[in-house]
Amino acid sequence: MQLLELWLTDFRSHESVHLECPSGLSAFVGANGMGKSNLLEAIGYLATLSSFRGVPGDALIRSGADTAVVRARVISDDREHLVEAEIVRGRPNRVLVDRQRLRRTRDLLGTLRVSVFSPDDLSLVKGSPGLRRDYLDDLAVSLHPRNDAVRSDWEKALRQRNALLKQVAGRLDDSAGLTLDVWDSKAAQAGTRLMEIRRTLIERLATSVETAYQQLSGSQQRVDLVYEPSCADDLLETLRSEREVDIRRRLTTLGPHRDELRITLDGMPSRTHCSQGEQRCLALSLRLAGHREVAREVGTAPVLLLDDVFSELDPSRCEALVRALPEGQSFLTAASGLPESVHPDRVIQVTREGLVERAGAN
Amino acid sequence: MPWVAGWATCSAGVDVATAQASAVQDLIDVFGRLPGIGPKSAQRIAYHLLKADAEESRRLAAAVVAAKERVGFCSRCFNLSETEICALCTDERRDTHVLCVVEEPRDVIAVERTREYKGRYHVLGGAIDHLQGVGPEQLKIRELLARVDAENITEVIICTNPNLEGEATALYLGRVLSVPGLTVSRIASGLPVGGDLEYADELTLGRALEGRRTVDHPAPAD
Ligand SMILES: [Zn+2]
Repeated sequence: MQLLELWLTDFRSHESVHLECPSGLSAFVGANGMGKSNLLEAIGYLATLSSFRGVPGDALIRSGADTAVVRARVISDDREHLVEAEIVRGRPNRVLVDRQRLRRTRDLLGTLRVSVFSPDDLSLVKGSPGLRRDYLDDLAVSLHPRNDAVRSDWEKALRQRNALLKQVAGRLDDSAGLTLDVWDSKAAQAGTRLMEIRRTLIERLATSVETAYQQLSGSQQRVDLVYEPSCADDLLETLRSEREVDIRRRLTTLGPHRDELRITLDGMPSRTHCSQGEQRCLALSLRLAGHREVAREVGTAPVLLLDDVFSELDPSRCEALVRALPEGQSFLTAASGLPESVHPDRVIQVTREGLVERAGAN
Repeated sequence: MPWVAGWATCSAGVDVATAQASAVQDLIDVFGRLPGIGPKSAQRIAYHLLKADAEESRRLAAAVVAAKERVGFCSRCFNLSETEICALCTDERRDTHVLCVVEEPRDVIAVERTREYKGRYHVLGGAIDHLQGVGPEQLKIRELLARVDAENITEVIICTNPNLEGEATALYLGRVLSVPGLTVSRIASGLPVGGDLEYADELTLGRALEGRRTVDHPAPAD
């Protein structure tokens, strides 16, 4: 998997950018606010059609413009493709692969794969369970794009069920009861599949995360990942038994949207009982393990996007991370200069005037 | 129209709002609101009409108005029709005991294209979608049940879209149609999941019709 060339028009702060992308490690440097991270965000957008900073599409359009365009030549599955995404204010985005319009954006998944590391990853360990569920589900989709259908069916069925629960406003007549049966059954079908997918993934990740953690921290600490579902095994039974509660509260109280991925370090819950340094290292390990699993599954490493990750790490962990990164194409940003252990193949200075390649990187 | 050249050549960078006469912008907006037409296509259609002679615009406007005035819904199957009862409902060569239930009138066309189906239709007018405020009451389901009874229907084939809302609607219909002596089937998949019937090619949809299966009933909650 490789990005060959990237063009941006009116994407965030960039009015017009053209960048040739050699293999190896490219570093974007420069002062804050010049749009270094926006470049990584644009690459990520072509892979997932969403911003890894979690902002809506409209926020990606340069102020004053109506349309942002991200276009790239990529090599995937040994073939070259032209991927183009057009983000139009207040409208659904348009995606073209090799000049052919995609009818469903889902068809894009897998054309370009990325792994994103960012300082926000700390919240994977420290933040709410929803972030860990998203980590699992995103990774499951990267491993097998068809998992996206399961996830989206579950989310849609849940939204429909919740909309119905709101509409019945606390009282269920026969007809609404029948409709609720239907949504219970649809939600349980997709939700049970989703829980299975998460369980299988966690089993697969467990050793991978522990290995990554030990490499990055230089310690022998034990890392365990445990899936903690919010309900007993049978989701359909749960939805039925919680029906009265759900009708009263006008939402679905239990299900995969309430499940937790518990991470422990030597048996201690990482969310509450680990130092910030250990948490940061665990977060990196989760990302690194995910990246390695996708590389193994797909047979080629995703493009790595390292957004300002080195500024938060001490020199020994920086070095360990650099050593642990698999071969492949990588892009990183650094605001406060590059750590000594990082030797990019190419350094690009991002300035208000544009991108300037800095000579003598190696 | 001496001003045509003026706005037609204005390029990006010029303030579009002031460069474009407001009647032109209104026209573009009207087209832009139509399904499947993006801003660029809307602009292209509007420019095309303004460039072509006035007769073309008159024909278009007249066709839209005439269709809207003349075409209504068949009072039996709720397909589009210019008459009280549509041609499909009155065609005596068709099997009068089989009903194919679809979401939209355009799905009738899709099923007809397969030439696999010789019964009659019932158009629901959508699928269950609470997010859009569409429950079973908003669909022509009561009318469907009445027809099954009145027309001695022996088989109902549910041909809703193979997406979540379509599947949920099929499940609901399976439940309300569980009457002795009535076979209820769902077209087999093979249709792209998450897709629309409308886009399925004839062969795929034809095979799906052939391989239809009986709908499983969701067991009622206790
Ligand atoms: Zn009719």
